[in-house]
Amino acid sequence: MSRQELLSPEGLRVDGRRANELRRILCRASVLNTADGSAYYEQGNTKVLVAVFGPREPRARGQLQHDQAIINVEFNIAPFSTSERRKRSKGDKRLLEIASFVRQTFEGAIQRSVYARSQIDIYFHLLQHDGGTLETCINAATLALVDAGISMDDYVCACTAGFIDETPVLDLNSVEESSIETPDLTVAVLPRSGNIALLQMESKLHSTKLDSVMELAIEGCKHIHKKLDDAVLAAANDLAEKLSH
Amino acid sequence: MTSLILSPSEQDFITRGVEKGFRADGRGSLDRREVTLRTNMISQANGSARCRIGHLGLGTDVLVGIKAEVNTWTPGEPESLGSIVCNVECSPSAAQEFEGRGAEDLNVELTQTLDRMFNGPQSGIDMAKLCIIPKQAYWVLHVDALVLDVKGGIVDALVWATRAALLSTKLPRVVVESIADEDGNLQSEFDVVDDAEDQVAIEGVENLPLSVTFNQIGKRFVIDASEQEEAVTQASLTVAVSPQLEICAVQKGGFLRGFPPSLLSEIMQTARRVARDEFAKFKELYETAA
Repeated sequence: MSRQELLSPEGLRVDGRRANELRRILCRASVLNTADGSAYYEQGNTKVLVAVFGPREPRARGQLQHDQAIINVEFNIAPFSTSERRKRSKGDKRLLEIASFVRQTFEGAIQRSVYARSQIDIYFHLLQHDGGTLETCINAATLALVDAGISMDDYVCACTAGFIDETPVLDLNSVEESSIETPDLTVAVLPRSGNIALLQMESKLHSTKLDSVMELAIEGCKHIHKKLDDAVLAAANDLAEKLSH
Repeated sequence: MTSLILSPSEQDFITRGVEKGFRADGRGSLDRREVTLRTNMISQANGSARCRIGHLGLGTDVLVGIKAEVNTWTPGEPESLGSIVCNVECSPSAAQEFEGRGAEDLNVELTQTLDRMFNGPQSGIDMAKLCIIPKQAYWVLHVDALVLDVKGGIVDALVWATRAALLSTKLPRVVVESIADEDGNLQSEFDVVDDAEDQVAIEGVENLPLSVTFNQIGKRFVIDASEQEEAVTQASLTVAVSPQLEICAVQKGGFLRGFPPSLLSEIMQTARRVARDEFAKFKELYETAA
């Protein structure tokens, strides 16, 4: 791939966005009928479908915890999701890593002690991949968990940010992510307290630049919080309308 | 396929109901549940479709994506044919047993079933047209199916979705040139046209089959069994029929026992009759699906 300019002199990125612009977000709750909660979340061209089951009987009774719920996450990437078709095995390290990050993030946000001795399952399906896998999964999972009616301390909103040509940029797509020189920072926050639930970064970033990039990412998270809240209200209004007839 | 435990009275109720000609949800024995079809929702795939079979959205849900790739020919492969590779994956959102490696057996079984129906001339697709340059390059169509929910009749949903996805598939056009090299021999080279507007459909897709699954309950059989009906099924037979009403593939599912041969020929005749209506229904749904 020829080295293309990720940030043009006019300040436009490869997909025409400015440095501090988020991609278009489309999200909907309650898309699957059998799951207790589900959501479909699109951020730019990254599309993810998530199903939440729970609280229910733990599958392995030996893992049952007497005082809190077990969170179980499985992450699948559809073979047709990337521009080159690729089938990943179930034990793929990258998939397991993402599932593990999501699990740890939500272990801090879900009120697990409310659902002692049970299991909450979160199953992801990445239908189209265009960067920001972890952030879209976390946002989608928040929506699905709310749809399932599972108690959480707060929404969990995630966003990525990077650093191109001395400028902090928000919400990287796959072209920007795959560039080796661009550091890729993923942050998940709990908006009400402002606490950070997840922080992950790849590549190199000078320590003096870290603050500005993180600030930008957290700004993005606030914006995403609004979008998720709107989706929850829309789903609730929809339900209220159906119940009132 | 997924375990549903029914009490003996429920089993008796369903079995005797079927024998008298009525089913738990009021359908006739040859009626299919409501089908919803959507196509082209995955922009990165060459073709895609989502099929849901069931009342009010609660039912079997399958998503199929088609990706076309150019493969280099290796000795041992057919010299002037393309190929279709199917792959089915059941999601844990369909059943908890499908978590981790739990769905592996079912995935393999469904993959092989689809493969039997679609990979080869019996599918109606002109495999020779999928070859770009004999002994050099050919198109391979990857059919990736994702099963999101299972409420009976999984094979039919897979076939409907696969047919819709293949019908909606657009392949980039390929330009083949013959160039003379230093020795004066003619070498063929191909170039894939990278234009989103300049795409072609697969040749022969109108001939793709649809499948009808017959489940024997008691002494009679029903089509498109629901979850409860599958739990009392004694034997099942999936018949794939082409639009020309020829039988393309037949597969007997597991369950408890075999079919009496007299029932078998009755099923074949019924399959062809039912298929006629199914193709009409498919056409109607497909046209409004995009």
